[in-house]
Formats: sequence, structure tokens, C-alpha cells
Amino acid sequence: MGEATIAQRLVEAVRSDFPDHQPGTRPVHTVGIGVSGTFMASEVAGQFCIAAPFRAAQMPVLVRFSNGSGSPVEHDGWSDVRGMATRFLPGDGAAMDMLAMTLPEFFTPNVDAFLQFTKAAMPQSVERESPWRKLIDMLRLELPLPDPEPGETMNGSAGMMAYANRHGFAGEAVFRAGMIGAPVSYARATYHAVHCFIVTGADGVRRPVRFSWQPVSGVRTTDPTAPAIDRYLHEELRARLAQGSAQFMLMMSVGEGGDALNDPTRPWPAKRTRVAMGMLSLAQVVADQLADCERVGFNPCRLLPGIAVSDDPILRARRDAYEYSQRERGATPCPFAGG
Amino acid sequence: MSAMQGAFDPSELQGNILRGYRRAAVRYAVFEVVKPVAARRWLGRSASGGDAEVPAVTPERSWSVRPDYCFNVGLTFAGLRALGLGAAMLAQFPGEFAAGMVRRAVKLGDVGTSAPECWPAPFDQPARVHLVAAIYADDGAHLDAVQRLLEQGDAAQGLRLMGIRNGGNFDGDFVHFGYRDNISQPRFAEIAEHADLGEPIAPLGMALLGHSTGLEGVSWRVPQPSVLGHNGCFNAFRILAQDVAGFEGYLDQTAEQLLADPRGAVLLPPGDEGRIGAGLTRRAALREVVAAALCGRWRNGVPLALSPETPNPEPAVSLTAFDYTDDRRCPVGAHIRRSNPRGAKIVQRVASHTRRLIRRGMPYGPRFDPDRPDHVERGLLGNFIGASLGAQFEAVMYDWVNLGLQDPRITGSNDPILGVNDPATSWFDLPLRDGKPIRLAGLPRFVTTRGGAYLFLPSLPALKFLASLSPV
Amino acid sequence: MSIRSASAALRLVRLRGAEAMSGSVGWLERVVDRLPDSPVFQFLARHVLVPFWAWRTPVAVAEGGPVMTIAPGDNVQRMMNLVMKLKDPSPIGRAKAALAIAQNVDEIYAGLNNVGTVHFARFVLVGDHLCMFSVYDGDFTNYIRDFIATIGSVFDAVVALIDGGDAVIPTEQNVEAFIDWVHARDLYQVPDLATDLLNQQRDGSATETDIRRLPRALILQLQANPNVSLGSGYRAYPGFSAAQLRHRLEVGW
Repeated sequence: MGEATIAQRLVEAVRSDFPDHQPGTRPVHTVGIGVSGTFMASEVAGQFCIAAPFRAAQMPVLVRFSNGSGSPVEHDGWSDVRGMATRFLPGDGAAMDMLAMTLPEFFTPNVDAFLQFTKAAMPQSVERESPWRKLIDMLRLELPLPDPEPGETMNGSAGMMAYANRHGFAGEAVFRAGMIGAPVSYARATYHAVHCFIVTGADGVRRPVRFSWQPVSGVRTTDPTAPAIDRYLHEELRARLAQGSAQFMLMMSVGEGGDALNDPTRPWPAKRTRVAMGMLSLAQVVADQLADCERVGFNPCRLLPGIAVSDDPILRARRDAYEYSQRERGATPCPFAGG
Repeated sequence: MSAMQGAFDPSELQGNILRGYRRAAVRYAVFEVVKPVAARRWLGRSASGGDAEVPAVTPERSWSVRPDYCFNVGLTFAGLRALGLGAAMLAQFPGEFAAGMVRRAVKLGDVGTSAPECWPAPFDQPARVHLVAAIYADDGAHLDAVQRLLEQGDAAQGLRLMGIRNGGNFDGDFVHFGYRDNISQPRFAEIAEHADLGEPIAPLGMALLGHSTGLEGVSWRVPQPSVLGHNGCFNAFRILAQDVAGFEGYLDQTAEQLLADPRGAVLLPPGDEGRIGAGLTRRAALREVVAAALCGRWRNGVPLALSPETPNPEPAVSLTAFDYTDDRRCPVGAHIRRSNPRGAKIVQRVASHTRRLIRRGMPYGPRFDPDRPDHVERGLLGNFIGASLGAQFEAVMYDWVNLGLQDPRITGSNDPILGVNDPATSWFDLPLRDGKPIRLAGLPRFVTTRGGAYLFLPSLPALKFLASLSPV
Repeated sequence: MSIRSASAALRLVRLRGAEAMSGSVGWLERVVDRLPDSPVFQFLARHVLVPFWAWRTPVAVAEGGPVMTIAPGDNVQRMMNLVMKLKDPSPIGRAKAALAIAQNVDEIYAGLNNVGTVHFARFVLVGDHLCMFSVYDGDFTNYIRDFIATIGSVFDAVVALIDGGDAVIPTEQNVEAFIDWVHARDLYQVPDLATDLLNQQRDGSATETDIRRLPRALILQLQANPNVSLGSGYRAYPGFSAAQLRHRLEVGW
């Protein structure tokens, strides 16, 4: 089976989970907003990674925040995973992407399992669990199925949960995704790059690492008991940036022998050496969202010398899947690559 | 406790504890106790001097004429229970021994390919590993003769042979990785004829229950009645496969790296190859420099601590009388320094000199031929003996061999030869006389555990006591 | 397990429900959604449901202390949370405990410096309990064993004040028993990942999980282990031993 075929199957599989998906848009994380800012590497970042973003003092960045869903309809207040794609622009036409999300782990450890998972996550019509059923759940001291969001008639929750119960590796991601809630602001969530990357230090030592963005203003979700609001995240970000910048600290955890280096379903413990790699300051929402953000194609494998992909099979598959998807929707893989 | 005992009588011990027999071959026979009455009868006959049908347990003694063979036994916790030792007595044995080697796997680094789930028979059924008998001789005929005895009479009735492991020397004290081994052992004041190796004398309680330990004021629990526990000790019996092709390949790879690295010239100045060995190419000399650094000894056994420049110092140096007072001679992470830091400054100062182990090992598998490298299983049948598995063997394996807690410069790395290394994260610092060390990376796991058991090595009176237990 | 997921799990229901969806929701549903907060249900849960499920699907008392792995980061800065019931919980008994610690400051500090692997250690009185909380590197038994060797007498003085402590003194002659005794009083550390709790309870054998069973798993575990450490905790500079920090801060080790 050729690479393109796997990429195509992955993209089609993801799309199939969102019946109202619109051609020409991203298959997931469809609703988003682009922001520009600067990244400033910390004083130690270059010791751990010689890639240009960690050596230069300061460089421009483009960030796209998004809701996880592949639906074109904006439901900011629904409980959902959020994304943060960052493009570092260290100069001389070079670019590096870092794709992160609010879930610290992925659902499956490999491509085959992911294809099965997307099948299981195919939306089914949902109704609130009956009160009697809920009562039984309570008597069993078990978690009832989550109520659908107001107006939500179809979702993949039950299928995902059933899949997770059959495949232990998916349990943590499904459980956490079910509890994730909605952030009060895109600038008030922690985003994880999930996969392991291999960075080369100034001393030539190669280390397996994972990255996370932590918001300086702190993590905060909306009140889950209050009615969900469909549109607020974009306006909130505009208002916040009009007042000043929003900042994120880039943290890098160093993996160790015994860690699941290539398994994105297993987060590493917080007991790993943690390096402060730099600070991201977001300045303004980009003016032309379509040209400067929506048409941009990010790719988690767009890296620069000094940082490389690990053997994580999901990460490796994402390279082609994103390229395939970008060709499909006519996006620019990299505005600076001349292509 | 020891005050209650009479004077120390070494002849009450099994003979394979305080000294090595220095035989050419060994056979370990692993048994399950199936009929305790017959098994106890057999044990009693063996511990009481043996007879035509039962090989005698060899006691500690000096002999003028070497016997044809030596024979010793160790029992697992499950084995003690199977023989009929009651719950109250079993409860006095230490927790790690009761748990057994399999349940201590993570602590010992027996994970991944070394995990007990990967061990071949008979070690895939740890609950049935009850008694491990060791036969030592100079040839296979004697080993066979003793094994035949173990397959008849009371032994055949009471014990089921689960498997055997054969070991044999192929080049004196040299082992598969090409080093001379079996050099340094604890020495006890009570055993007069030990050669003076120039190392500190170890307290008897480091090896045997019921005597003062190396930790001031501290004594280990002696399972009662006293005859059962006194003068007994514990043995971590390990079958350790050694990836010689992988090891030599790593030396090749590292030599290439050093040839390309300008600091390689600091490590071994060009023109100095001759002091490593006559006629060696620069690449071959660098291989030996690295091999010595990983172990802490040149392959001929000469310690880096006394001879950092050459394996052939003039005049010759002691192989045992050394310390790590000059910090730069022997890498902190070198195998022999990690597993026995001697008088070196260590983080756990209280524990200095308290974790020594008696090591009795014999290679198994065919000798590796570098001209025709193969991946046939070969390795070491190792016995790591002490009065406390927890305070000695496990402490060394967990804190020092892996993790490297004893010195902040190696903490977070594992022993380069024995450690549970993953090439993605492993490292070893090669010290240079000036400046920062060269950090070697990508060390794979060279030693894989293929089986083993925690054994109690009872004294002869204890064996007779076990034989006399009332029928169950 | 994060506090958020634990509390959400215990709420049992995601409550965007009744109020947010007025009109489409019947009275029964409203009642059921609010049930977890009602005194009647809470009474029923405490006195009937929990005992019933503890009997029906028993959960073993989980072992104290950190979980063993081979990763170096898991083997430095480990937590000991020792909770020991005082023989005499009156102010007099508590004062005795305070004095036993105060009188042995030199012994304790010298002992900790020479054990070499301890980051922090402190004694705390909570109600009827004397607690010893510490952060140490490496193996628990080595830590306690080395500590006995250097300050066994202080342990004896402290343990003499504790319920059941007489059986393990003098500690120098009861090393194995004392280590087991301490281990039995070291708090269970709830796994950091919610689903690992289910894995632990199943002894890691089965491959199936039922994540909806998490609330019950947590409740029954807390029934078996009333005092626990919630997760392995935050570290400002994870991955370094005490000696490494001293070495890099250039204050000697």
C-alpha cells in the first residue's frame, strides 16, 4: 500500500466523522483564527536544541487556534479539544511548525488502530440518557453517558467509549476528551504537541522530547453547568490582544529509558526533566484570515535541522496526511517555500 | 544474636559461599519438590555426608586432594514451603526473598526483553522452581554421573527435574566480553587462607546471617529456630545472556566516532597506540581504550584506577589493591566502579562498603569468535551472594548499576555493560585528562536476563533441620 | 488523576442539562440530574451503595509508596507520606512527639546529610497522627535502612510513641520488620492517569477497561485506602537527585 493511499484513507476517515464537513476546509479543527506574534527562545534552549527557532533571540510566529471539530459550524462553548498550530519563522525563508492540542495524549498508537477508531467514532444519533438509565448508573456508581450539547443530535461519544473499553490504549484520551470542557479563551488553555521529537543539543547529544505550551494567564474552562455559548472565542481573543499580548511558555519534557517514546497514547509523567524553551507573545489577530491563516497548511513534520521526528507511527503518518489534505483543499503548504 | 552461638565453625557452611571451587565446569539442575517426604529424606542424606545413591553437600573446608565433584543446594521460598516449612517460620524470611526474583523484576531492571515473561523453561514457571542444585567438576563425565544420582531413589521420588543449565570456563578467568573476571571478592578474617588482596576485610555478617553487618549496630533477622537461619545466606542466581557481537559492534562504532572527533586525540594522543598493545591500529587501540573505560579494567584485568594509560604497566600493579581516590583515572560510570565504589566518595555515605557481594560465575555457551560473529546465546551463570538481598544485591542493582545514584555525575545513566540501556536515552561519559568528558550515546542493552531465582543457601545443620521437619 | 477529572467523575453527571435545556427536559430528569447533591442520595450512597459494591466488587488495599519503574525521573524525588497513629493522642502525647523530634535535631540533620538522598523531610502532627513527609531519591528500603544505621535511636524514640510501634523497636535489630512497618503506613499514591487506576485494580492482566466504572473504582479504592496521596505531585525541577542539585548549585555533595 503506497504512502498516498494511507494518507488518503486517514483524511477520508477523519472527514467521515463529520457529516456536515465542507469541501475545501480542514478535515478537523475546521473553525479557527490566526494570530501573529513573536517567539523568544530561553537562554538555555539552544543547549538542548540547535534548531533555528531555539537559537535566534526573537522571531515572528503565526499561530492558528481552532476548535477540534471538523464541522464548519462554530460551537465554541461545547466541550471539545482545541488546537494551537504554531509556525516559527526564524528568517531566511525557513519555517518550522508545531501542532498542539488541549488533549495531552492521542487516541491510538498506530495508523491501523486510528482507522478503526474513526470508524467507531462515526456519529450516531444521540439522545439524553433516560432518567431511569441514569439512576441505574448512579446506583452502580458509574459514569452516565454525557448529555448531548443543546441542539446536538449526532455525536461519536458512545462509539468512542465502546472502542476505548475494547482497546485500553484509547481509554485515557477518550476519558479526558469527555471531561475536557470549553476554555474561556484560546489564551487560557495548555496545548500539548503530544508526539515525541528528537532534538539535537549544542553538545551533539540527541534527546527524545515532548513539547507543551502553557498559558501565562493560566488555564480556565467555562462553567460546565451554564448554558453553552456558540461564538465567543474569536471576539475574546481580539479583545484580549487589543488590551495587550497573550503569552505562552514553551515547556519541553525530556524522555527517559522506559518511557513510551513512540506511543502518543501514553503521556509521560510530570517527573521528567522539564526545560523552559522560550516565551511566545501573541500580538494581533491577522487581518486577512483567509490568505494568511486559513490557506496556510501546517504540518507537524515541517521541522528544521536540529529537531527531527521520532519513530511514532502516528506522527510519521501525519506528514503525508496533512500534505494530502492541503492539496485537496488548495492550501499553501508553506508560503515561504516558493510553492 | 551471635553471642548466643558458639564459635564460628566454617565447616557448617556450604562450600560454595566463602570460596570458589575454581572448577572447569558447572551444571545447575532446577527441581520442583513433588513429594516432600522423599525430598526431605534425600536432603537429609545429602547433608549428612551422602552415600552411594545421594551426592554429599560439599561443606566449607580446605582439602589436600580435590574431590571429583562438589555439590551444593539452594532453596527458593516456594521450595522451603514445599518442603514443609511452616508459615510461622516462613514469615521470618525477608520480604524480597519471599517475593522471589520474578516479582522484583522491575527493581532489578528485568524489563523488556529481560522480563520474566520472556524467560525460557524452567524459569517460565517460577512457582515450581524450588531447589537449585549446583554440580561442579572438571569434566562432563563427572557432571553426568552426579546428575544420574539425582534421577534415582529418593531424589527421583521427591523431586522433579525441571531443567538444567551448563556452564564452563573456556579460557581461565576470561568471560565472553573478553575481560578477565573473578578478580575481586570480599575477604573475611575468619577464613585464614584467603590471599591478601589488599582490600578491606569484610565483616562476616556481609555474607552470613547471625553476624555483625557492615552497617554499625544493624543486624538482619535470623529466621528461627536459630539452626534454620544461622550461618545461612541468600543468593541471587541469574542467567545473564551477553550480546558479544553487539558489544564488539558498539566498540567499532565508538572507535569510528572517536577517530572523527578531535577530542579523540586527547583521549589517545596519536603515536601512543603502542602502549595499548603491540601492533594495534589506531582504531583497534581506541576500541580497547573504550572497552577499558566501560569496565574500569583493561581486558586483562589491570584496573584503570592504577594504570589509566596502559594495560601493561611497568612495574606490574595489583589487580585488587586500589581505590578511586584519584577521581579522573577510572570513569565514575565504569562497571566495576558502579557496582563496587570501594572507598570512593559516594552520595550514600552511610552505605560505603556495606553493599559488597560475593560473586561466583561461570560462562555458558560457545566462545565468541570475532572473525565469525554469531548470535548464539552465550553469557554468564551468575551467583550474587550476601546476607541480605535487599541491602546488597538489590541495592547495587537498583541504585548503583541502574540509576547511578551514588555520584551526581552519573545519576540518570545506567551501567554501560550490565545496565538496562535504551539506545535512545543511554549515555556514558568518557573522562578526558583536560576539559569536559566525551559523552558516548546509543548504548544498547548488552546483558539480558534469561532466568534466575532468589535462593536461600542454608548451613548444613539447617539442611538437616529441614530434612527433619515432621511430615505434611 | 487530575482533580478536575476526579471531581467531574464524582459528580457523576455532566450537568449542562436540566437548566440549560429547559423545556425539552422532564421533571424526572431534573430530579435525577440533581440527585447526586441530595442528602437522601448521599445517605443511600454512603450506607448502602458503597458497602454493597465494596462487597460485590472488592478492591484490595493498595500498597503505599511510589510505583516502581526503571525511568530515572521516577526514581528521584520520590515521596514518602508516613501517617502514624499516636498511642496517646491527648495534648500531652502530642507534646511528647513534638519533644522527641525537637530533642533529636542534631541526630536527624546529621543522619539526613549522610544518607545523602533526601531532599526534604518534616514531621507534622495532624489530629491523632504523627506524620513524616519526605522527598528522597532511590529505593525506599535503602533510604530507611541507611537511616536506621545512622539514627536508629531517634526512630526508636519516635516509634515508641506510635500505636503498634513497640513491636519494631529497637529498629536496628528489627530492620526488615521496621521497613515493612513503615511501608504499611506510607500512603498509597493514586496514579496520575485516571485509567491507570482501573489497570491497577485489574492487576494489569485484562486488556479491557470500562472507563465508565472510574467513579466506582475511585470510591472503592478510597474505601480501602482512606488516606492517599493524590497523584505523584508537582516538582519544580524534576529529574534531579539531591546530590545533583547540590553539585550543580556548587554547594558540594
